[in-house]
Amino acid sequence: MRQSVNQVRESSVKSKAETTIAETEATTAGAGARIGVYFLQTGPESSAVMDLRSVAEYAAGLPGVVTVRTLTISSALDPDALALELRQGKLDTIVIAAAHPGFYKPVFSRALALAGGAGEQVRLASLAERGDAPTTAQAKAVVACAVQGIPFNLAAEPGAASFESATLVIGGGVAGIQAALEIAESGHKVYLVERTGTIGGRMAMFDKTFPTLDCAACILTPKMVAVSQNPNIELLVLSEVEEVSGSFGAFKVKVLKHATRVDASACVACGDCAQFCPVTTASEFDVGIATRKVIFIPFPQAVPNAYMIDPTHCTWVLSGGKKCGACVKKCSKGAVHLDAKDEVVELSVGNIIVATGYDMLDARRVERYGYGTYPNVLNSLEFERLTNASGPTGGKIVMRTKRFNKRTKTDEWVFEPDGPKPKAVAIVHCVGSRDQNFNAYCSRVCCMYSLKFAHLVREKLPEAKCYEYYIDMRAFGKGYEEFYERIREEGVFLVRGRSASVVERDGQLFIHGEDTIAEHLFTMPVDMVLLAAGLEPSHGSAELAEILQIPRDGDGWFREQDYNSEPTSTGREGIYVAGVCQGPKDIPDTVAQAAAAAAEALRSIVGSAAAQNRSQDHAGAPLQAIAENAAAPARS
Amino acid sequence: MAVRANPDLIDELQQFGARDAVKCYQCGNCSAACAHSEDPFVFPRKSMHYLQMGLEKPLRSALDPWLCYYCGKCSEQCPRGAEPGETMMGIRRWLTAEYDFTGISRLLYRSWRTELITVLVVALLTGIGFLSLGFLVGGGNLSVYDGPGAFLPAHDIHIFDWTMGIILALLLSINCVRMWQFTMRNEHSAPVPFSLYVRYLLLLPLHFFTQKRFRRCENKTPWANHLVLMLSYLTMLVLIMVFLKQMQSGPKVNWYVHVFGYASAIGLVGTASFAVWGRLKKDAAYHRHSHESDWMFLGLLLFVAITGIIQHVLHRAGFPMAANITYIVHLMGVVPMLGLEVPFSKWSHLAYRPLAVYFAQLQQAAQAERALPLGGSAKPQPAA
Repeated sequence: MRQSVNQVRESSVKSKAETTIAETEATTAGAGARIGVYFLQTGPESSAVMDLRSVAEYAAGLPGVVTVRTLTISSALDPDALALELRQGKLDTIVIAAAHPGFYKPVFSRALALAGGAGEQVRLASLAERGDAPTTAQAKAVVACAVQGIPFNLAAEPGAASFESATLVIGGGVAGIQAALEIAESGHKVYLVERTGTIGGRMAMFDKTFPTLDCAACILTPKMVAVSQNPNIELLVLSEVEEVSGSFGAFKVKVLKHATRVDASACVACGDCAQFCPVTTASEFDVGIATRKVIFIPFPQAVPNAYMIDPTHCTWVLSGGKKCGACVKKCSKGAVHLDAKDEVVELSVGNIIVATGYDMLDARRVERYGYGTYPNVLNSLEFERLTNASGPTGGKIVMRTKRFNKRTKTDEWVFEPDGPKPKAVAIVHCVGSRDQNFNAYCSRVCCMYSLKFAHLVREKLPEAKCYEYYIDMRAFGKGYEEFYERIREEGVFLVRGRSASVVERDGQLFIHGEDTIAEHLFTMPVDMVLLAAGLEPSHGSAELAEILQIPRDGDGWFREQDYNSEPTSTGREGIYVAGVCQGPKDIPDTVAQAAAAAAEALRSIVGSAAAQNRSQDHAGAPLQAIAENAAAPARS
Repeated sequence: MAVRANPDLIDELQQFGARDAVKCYQCGNCSAACAHSEDPFVFPRKSMHYLQMGLEKPLRSALDPWLCYYCGKCSEQCPRGAEPGETMMGIRRWLTAEYDFTGISRLLYRSWRTELITVLVVALLTGIGFLSLGFLVGGGNLSVYDGPGAFLPAHDIHIFDWTMGIILALLLSINCVRMWQFTMRNEHSAPVPFSLYVRYLLLLPLHFFTQKRFRRCENKTPWANHLVLMLSYLTMLVLIMVFLKQMQSGPKVNWYVHVFGYASAIGLVGTASFAVWGRLKKDAAYHRHSHESDWMFLGLLLFVAITGIIQHVLHRAGFPMAANITYIVHLMGVVPMLGLEVPFSKWSHLAYRPLAVYFAQLQQAAQAERALPLGGSAKPQPAA
């Protein structure tokens, strides 16, 4: 029952429009809503196309508006002074009108809270809604919509009037999974885009979680299965977001979906294809410490539970279809289509949740630890896979042994289930973290996962000595301090001092550093060194930030709108961040933030449905009409 | 025994060039990276800690800062940019001021203006003094440089040199005794029997002439540069103190003496220029930061070396008057350089560093004799 533009224009008697506005006022603002409109002026008062003074005068005439103020932004806004003003004017709702009003929202939210109001009652009137040079008519319409609490694009954009209820979640780690499930389970559509061949992310690689020592897979796999079974979730693996246009409520997203070359709906994951695939390469899921075939499933519990082909190593693909093709012949379901092509999928979504997680710092960069040179210096993800029951050694902690590879005719260092057990294991904290030569920030999870490693070493190899070399032990979470105590009692040697180097002499590793409590230098013979490498924004974050037009902080993490009050919002309305991509955090915090981001998205989905009902009547109206309609009751 | 903390210590040390010590979070990477750090002299972290906590007394009695040769490896690896190498350098300046009983050192280090004015005043007085000497005691004729009737007779200069040398040696010796008191006669240091002092006495000339500890640093260039500079300087000192007459005779070149002079002049100008170039380029940690006293030292050294060469050339080229004037200008550099730098500033480390190596060895030997490993280490010692 949407009215066309013509109908609004022709409604000589504005009774219908007036009643709509009157109702709107009653429902949104409440009977005694006292609205303050704050214009934040950053440029000249009037440009060629917009006269701020006339917009301000117009705003003063809108129903419910008590005060209109124009502030010139020369210095930082003082929330205390603002709060005093709000209290004097008995204002309970604020409209911020500026080119980029979201920037000032935290200050006004705080001022409103200080004045005793609800911090959420701050509405944004984005004058630059349709480009950087707004016209007077547009500015009036935008302010009118904000005063009435109607999303501007619903009222003013013909054809885009409907708020797209589907949500795009970028990244299928535990954050993406959690956010997708929250939204899908409340009945709304979710597109979950994942770059690798399976969801699960980093958490799927872990053996145990700290501090409870729960089995990580036991927590995560049910969630992964829930994703695969939820009809509201459309999962796109091997996919990357290429282009985003439109705005909040009506994003248009282009996703490049790489061909898996195996029909996931037909594949039953029997593994016959992989058995006959002649090419072996390093497994990404096992971070290179184990191998896989070129037709592979990342791990047995992968979702989607189907095989896929790695085209960069596949003989058939590399030979242009002339050689091999064994998998096609062996598949009894006819699921393998080696000639499948990549495709670009276009999605329409109202909200986007970014949950792209992290990469491990490349420990080779910290040369003095010899990672990549000494075979038994491992980074933390390698140790997670080594100690994981689904890893290459079935969870046995062993040292790498030298083996002659007949095919390449070279010696290589591999983990074998019956390899020698280490007698002393050193764990080095803060590798590339808290270090201005690498990353100055604290990666936040390393202390606790290092303690977890120590526990696993002591549990699986009771004879082995385990040394932790730390700078400061950061056990900040619930139950973490107790976990630290427990590990101490388990007989782990906790040495306060950053170890400075690892060297190998006659096949024996030595770790060298200063014990800063005893004020002694140590050179300790150890068999295995685990490097607690720090976290870095996952590769491609910079490009994604460009695509989404969202800001990143100095360390490369996506920047939240406000650290305290809006930890999931970004600088752009309708785009949220969740999990480590916003900054290093552990699993509980990641899951919590993902749920919070989902709540933000749901608020706009549910809220837009309500607002859509209210604004049906002037949907798609020209700017002039919106402005006139809004001001009418006050004038009459 | 409780140690009184001086909360202002870190601010005080800032004036001596230890600017970034507050950033240190005590990870110990620097101590482990250092080629000189070994039990019980583990540094620089410990000194950084003393500094942060304001533990003035332990810092004053520490030998550690003198065992550091500032290769800069600690600063390169420091995760916080706390510049442990530069902090040790700052502590050495502060220690120089602490050892100096006159308090002049402190004044010079803490204010570059004071230092500059003092140098200028001393230079001016020197100029006036030698002019008066030339006119009143000497030949009185500026155009006679050598032989009988010389404006500045070698004999008088010789007496002046020796007088000044004895005074400076006396001042430095008193400071050395104070260093010994601070570092070897405090409640923490083990009593060292006299026999040990005698047994290890040869360490002093060994380290003075070879600076072999410096070679432990990974980068050998600073050691080589430092050694050449020191040996050149020493050669020149011997020439002036013992062979001044031959040095000043001429205008014919006396190759038996002058060849040494030429070698050391080349050495001095070369190494000092290399140091200036490094400090301007700032490409390595050890000369990234320059205290005003570093510039004053290098400036005076170059000034003295170059004026020395010029007066020599002018004399040989047959311009005795110009040579005489340049000679006085040269002396106007020499007197403030030696008079201020040797007992009160950077030159004093020519005594403190070998002494510190000697004292450290004595302490270790004394501990070993008492069979009390410091701190009771049960951990294996570094094999390297």
